[in-house]
Amino acid sequence: MRKKYSKEKKHRDGEIPTGSFSDIAFLLIIYFLVATTLMKVKTITADLPSGEKAAQAQSEKTPIVNLRGAEIFFNDKPLDIKDLEARLAALELAGKEPSQRVIMLESARGTPYENYFKALAVISANGGVVALVEEEQ
Amino acid sequence: MAKRSQRKKRRPVPVPVASMGDIAFLLIIFFLVCSEVSKEPEVELTSPRSSHVEKVEATVAARVAVDATGQIYLDGQRVNSAKDVEWGVRAMLANTVADDQRHVQFKCDAALPKETFEPVLQAIAEGGGIIEAVGELEE
Repeated sequence: MRKKYSKEKKHRDGEIPTGSFSDIAFLLIIYFLVATTLMKVKTITADLPSGEKAAQAQSEKTPIVNLRGAEIFFNDKPLDIKDLEARLAALELAGKEPSQRVIMLESARGTPYENYFKALAVISANGGVVALVEEEQ
Repeated sequence: MAKRSQRKKRRPVPVPVASMGDIAFLLIIFFLVCSEVSKEPEVELTSPRSSHVEKVEATVAARVAVDATGQIYLDGQRVNSAKDVEWGVRAMLANTVADDQRHVQFKCDAALPKETFEPVLQAIAEGGGIIEAVGELEE
């Protein structure tokens, strides 16, 4: 009975309703536009030299920035972040070769990232190449 | 002449809407192809502030974050130590040919001490990444 029925079944020319396709598509576009976040974060760029040798190869004349908690020292002289910026600007690092642009960055235990970031930003903004000084273990 | 213009009949102009669906689907395909799935980890942190931060145009190869509790994340996945970051970054940058492809985003809580974040910074550098440290603009 079932077989017979299926054999007799007529093939109709069914049209796919496409009238609402544009509505669906535009709804999807609106969804994507609303759900997308066009966010660009603000950063500072620092290309830190890797390896111990890089740091050891620097001469004693290499400028050094020390961070001890909230205090900043430049070549063992205390100063604030604005003075550090002025001192680094006076060095005119941007015009020098990369090997001559190295600034050592040393920090004491417990130094918060906020201060570290500020120092890193000032050095990078003045064309310095930051070399981190590791603590001897 | 004025009389003639007054008599002018306004005929309904049919707007062709047949291709609207095609246009819309093309736009969807464009958005799908151009969009990048966010790998930003949902971490709780306070960004540091500086007057030198600027919007970065470079595409980052990896994202490293250290939250307020000191947990380290690499591309949204929690990792155990800075060494894992180094190996992860090294692996991600293995096929890079230019410096532009070596940028690694670094997010860290402003209050974290040096002992927590510095090994991660060194790990990124050892892995070959150029650090893009995220911060907010200080007014």
